[in-house]
Amino acid sequence: MLDNLASATTKPKMSARDVRVFYGPKEAIKGVSIDIDMDNVVAFIGPSGCGKSTFLRTLNRMNDTIPIARVEGDITLDGENIYSSSMDVVQLRARVGMVFQKPNPFPKSIYDNVAYGPRIHGLAPNKAELDQIVENSLVRAGLWNEVKDRLQDSGTALSGGQQQRLCIARAIAVDPEVILMDEPCSALDPIATAKIEELIHELRGRYAIVIVTHNMQQAARVSQKTAFFHLGTMVEYGDTSDIFTNPREERTRDYITGRYG
Amino acid sequence: MTATPQASAPASRQTDWMGDAMQKRIARRYAAERRFKFLGLAAVALSSLFLAFLLVVMIGNGAKGFVTTEATLTIDLPAATGSISPDQLTEPRLAATMASIDVRRIFDQAVQAQYGDDGARYFASTAWTALRNQLVENPNLVMGKTSFWLPTSSDIDRAAKDRSTPEAERDYAALTKAGEVRQSFNMQFLTGSDGTDPARVGIWGALKGSLITMVVTLFLAFPVGVLAAVYLEEYAPKNRFTDLIEVSINNLAAVPSIIFGLLGLAVFLQFLSMPRSAALVGGLTLALMTMPVIVIAARNAIKAVPPSIREAAMGVGASPIQVVFHHVLPLAIPGIMTGTIIGMARALGETAPLLMIGMRAFTTTPPDGLTDPATVLPVQIFLWSDEVNRGFVEKTSAAIIVLLVFLLTMNAIAVYLRNRFETRW
Ligand SMILES: Nc1ncnc2c1ncn2[C@@H]1O[C@H](COP(=O)(O)OP(=O)(O)O)[C@@H](O)[C@H]1O
Ligand SMILES: [Mg+2]
Repeated sequence: MLDNLASATTKPKMSARDVRVFYGPKEAIKGVSIDIDMDNVVAFIGPSGCGKSTFLRTLNRMNDTIPIARVEGDITLDGENIYSSSMDVVQLRARVGMVFQKPNPFPKSIYDNVAYGPRIHGLAPNKAELDQIVENSLVRAGLWNEVKDRLQDSGTALSGGQQQRLCIARAIAVDPEVILMDEPCSALDPIATAKIEELIHELRGRYAIVIVTHNMQQAARVSQKTAFFHLGTMVEYGDTSDIFTNPREERTRDYITGRYG
Repeated sequence: MTATPQASAPASRQTDWMGDAMQKRIARRYAAERRFKFLGLAAVALSSLFLAFLLVVMIGNGAKGFVTTEATLTIDLPAATGSISPDQLTEPRLAATMASIDVRRIFDQAVQAQYGDDGARYFASTAWTALRNQLVENPNLVMGKTSFWLPTSSDIDRAAKDRSTPEAERDYAALTKAGEVRQSFNMQFLTGSDGTDPARVGIWGALKGSLITMVVTLFLAFPVGVLAAVYLEEYAPKNRFTDLIEVSINNLAAVPSIIFGLLGLAVFLQFLSMPRSAALVGGLTLALMTMPVIVIAARNAIKAVPPSIREAAMGVGASPIQVVFHHVLPLAIPGIMTGTIIGMARALGETAPLLMIGMRAFTTTPPDGLTDPATVLPVQIFLWSDEVNRGFVEKTSAAIIVLLVFLLTMNAIAVYLRNRFETRW
């Protein structure tokens, strides 16, 4: 399992070493190590309750908001430990953006949804630049043509798929380095799902992307690397093509061939 | 997780959807629905009936309180004052003139001339002040002989509106016959304060007292209540101590209001030596009472904000305080306002705790500040309802109308604000 960690030619964007997460006395993640680089989309797969979301949320410290959650081990972003006291969690979450399972736009206008992040981080010195950031983000999220004439409409009035792309636009508006997506398509219909997958392809390379999915075809379509989680451990991590055609572990093979899940 | 073959289900019976038993069940279900609808309708009708009854009785009795009876009095002012000029009745010479001409004596003489020796019984004892006010308002009147309309005594006022003593009824009949009496809108009631003569009392003093008290209450209870709720929901650790605080707040909301009056008496008057009867102390006391209601409503409203919105905000790097002020509070405001309306409406109608801190002051001038002796609408109503003079009955009802109008206005403003803040999803 560790062979993959060192083999990357470039330095990893994020890396986790022996990460454990406890909910009270219960250990939900039992020692996971992984490297995430800029060039590859990483997919987390595994049966429900195996800890994919929990692990994903350690990467931008969203677990801090759960009082009973406790994280052990090292996670670094560009070599800097994100759990050290010198790391500003507010800034971290801007650098490591997140897209959630259920589309959750703010009940504000489309414009304000995208502009919110840049505003609170002071990324745009004036209105013109803010407009530019909003437009660029919406263009990159593939939503611009659909909403450019109604930026002042409520974000919650969009369709589910549009809302999710709005959430992606909102995340990329603060110019993050990593984007975490927790089952971003599970509430969407197949056409909206296809649009998001296409979008992930286009975003690849500019951002390091981690996507949790329970849909193995989706993992195969969008990712270059796949990590298989089971009962709080990472069973196997490797090139997506290898994981799907030639898994090394029995449990991975069982899961992929539909023996459980 | 691993698929196991399902135990085979018992051979199923075909359901007879058209059978008698099924039809009967459906009929019963519809009957229950109709019954429930009827009961609901009856409940609504009954409460509307009570409301209509209350309004009709109040307006029927109270409307008379807004009307005053006036009798005419003709005065030859140049003769009576020694031909003063109108500009002697304007500032800055007004005070000096008033000292030299005795309006009260002029009034008495005119009454005697027109209505005979005991003609004074027709007029309110303070009628001469009305004459003075009219003169000050319109100094040109001193140039000639004028008929003034001045308030009658409360006995005649009651004879005009209802029934009164036999003498007053007789006097009123005589005045009517001579065309020397009329009814007009009682401005004095809206601009004056408490007094001993029911025909001349006003509600403005109590209304202003209520206004000042409510402002103090709102400015204290709202921010403190909301901030307490935000702290308890968003920041406070969940432990024994905060549990205890939560229970205490819930209990506080249920404490009888008179206890808050005692608390106000002990803390603000005795311990902090604040002035008695002051709107400031009344506002503080009512704020103590209103705060728990606002805290509870605000906590529930904050709890009801979907966690996904918090996550979304944190996900783009909002700090906890930004999450609260940019996202949670705006979404919680309508709920918070609802709680505030309920709390403030209760505070506005409160009498008992204010009696405890002495806000039953007999004040004939409206309060000018936070520490002036003041009374409030419900206390004024209580005081008037307790008067022996029958003339106060209609004033009591009229004051109730004013209180209800105040309440409705306050609620209307709050509902308007709430709807403006409401976010459409
Ligand atoms: N807030 C929480 N408090 C306690 N236990 C939790 C919490 N969130 C998740 N868990 C537990 O942690 C385990 C992993 O959950 P999760 O990360 O959501 O799994 P996945 O996303 O793979 O379905 C589950 O057993 C779940 O019950
Ligand atoms: Mg999950």
